[in-house]
Amino acid sequence: MILAAPQTWQMALGFGLFVGIWYLTSAVLKLPRFEKIPDPLGVLIEWLSWNPIYGLSIFTPDYYKHIGYSIYRAFTAFVLAVALGVPLGLFMGWSPLFRRFTFPLVELIRPIPPLAWVPFAILLLPGTEWAVIFVTFIAAFFAMVLNSLLGARSIDPVYFRAAQCLGFRPWDVFIHVVVPGALPFVFTGLQLAMGLSWFALVAGEMIAGRYGLGFMIFEGYSLAQYRNIIIGMGTLGLLGYASSAGVRMLGRRMMIWRERQLGGGAE
Amino acid sequence: MWQGMFSVFVLFGLWQAAGALRVGGIGDIPTPVDVARALVDATQTSRYWSSWAISGERVAIGFLAGTLIGVPVALALGMNRTLRGIVFPVMETLRPVPPLAWVPLSILFWPTLELSIIFVIFLGAFFSVALNVLGGVDAVDPSLLRAARSMGARPRHIFWMIVLPATIPAIVTGMALGMGLTWEIVIAAEMIAGKAGLGYLAWEGFVNGSLVSILVAMVSIGIGGFLSCGLIWVLGQRATPWQRKS
Repeated sequence: MILAAPQTWQMALGFGLFVGIWYLTSAVLKLPRFEKIPDPLGVLIEWLSWNPIYGLSIFTPDYYKHIGYSIYRAFTAFVLAVALGVPLGLFMGWSPLFRRFTFPLVELIRPIPPLAWVPFAILLLPGTEWAVIFVTFIAAFFAMVLNSLLGARSIDPVYFRAAQCLGFRPWDVFIHVVVPGALPFVFTGLQLAMGLSWFALVAGEMIAGRYGLGFMIFEGYSLAQYRNIIIGMGTLGLLGYASSAGVRMLGRRMMIWRERQLGGGAE
Repeated sequence: MWQGMFSVFVLFGLWQAAGALRVGGIGDIPTPVDVARALVDATQTSRYWSSWAISGERVAIGFLAGTLIGVPVALALGMNRTLRGIVFPVMETLRPVPPLAWVPLSILFWPTLELSIIFVIFLGAFFSVALNVLGGVDAVDPSLLRAARSMGARPRHIFWMIVLPATIPAIVTGMALGMGLTWEIVIAAEMIAGKAGLGYLAWEGFVNGSLVSILVAMVSIGIGGFLSCGLIWVLGQRATPWQRKS
């Protein structure tokens, strides 16, 4: 189908309807089930207020403390997952022998949802901090392993034969064939893993966290500071969007380099 | 094949040994044998099976609602550019908010806890299905559409004879991904807010400090997710026989 960017009036209408209906139902009409839902104007005022009623706005240090904790956890887990998952996945895709030994293990553990690890992680790891990071790590790790594996397997075998004919040692094959060849899939994995990290992080923080945006949302609920729920959700949306965009940009950089090299080699 | 069996045996062997020798000083790590025994014991209790039923029902309702609403919405957005221009940016704005961040708001809105958990599951399934289906509609080969149009096909024909069949694989993918996601969500939602279900079972194990019960619940959750995703793939293969590789 033909892809066209949405026109400005369409976007304006869409957002207008969304915010308008939200405002009408929660602030003006106060429909039966909507009365507890914070209205958009109130949330915005609170979010941007110098002196927020419930203590959280862009001018309060606590707000940034929550954000800082969440970012720290999400990125620690993400970096660990990439650092461990990519090499493991590439080796599994590259070496059939290694794959035959390790793939069944991955498939055995993978069906357990990352969030089911929460209680286990809290009991086994010292402090809830590492439990939250661990759960986030698990979520991102499997996405990285599987995509790297697929990437390494997607490489045309001709390249391996050519490299062997040219006397490449295994390490050179890995660096010059496996890594660049698997890059597009690794990149897909990075995007998935980023989304999954935030997904698991929020749940982890709600269940076990102290500080962090998931915790902030849940506290907003328990303390009946309902506007903070929406502020937390909005902040999470922005951070999730920004980090996905960051990964996409990084990926594009990686791809440009790859395209240049492939283009240069084809002369 | 034997290599796989070998590594699984080694893993369980090491685990068994670590548990028996109490390595790591964490105290009582349950061994695989302990877990298997506890799992068998659990299957004798009606509470275990009612946890299955409760989680399964939540997953099923939320997932079906997400699919039944997500597929038509995505198809409509894919077919109508104006509608898409209006609705899609809003959807894209809401999408980065993780489903579980909706739990408190959902509890505030829905009259019962059951409905709020199902709603969050619905959201997860809906976005997964809708975005995949929309991607599927966008990926329809434009030359098919041009050919159909030049032969006088009406939008109705284009939809039923080209877009819908061409989108079925994307629907299957969206459903499979959505199914995986719903299990994640139900587990977390039950830990956060639930009074019953497999996620609650794991949480109860935690409250009682019993690693065995936690592991039993984790294994059960894994089996549940595995079976339901497998079911989707089998149904999907049936629905898209032309995609089967012989």
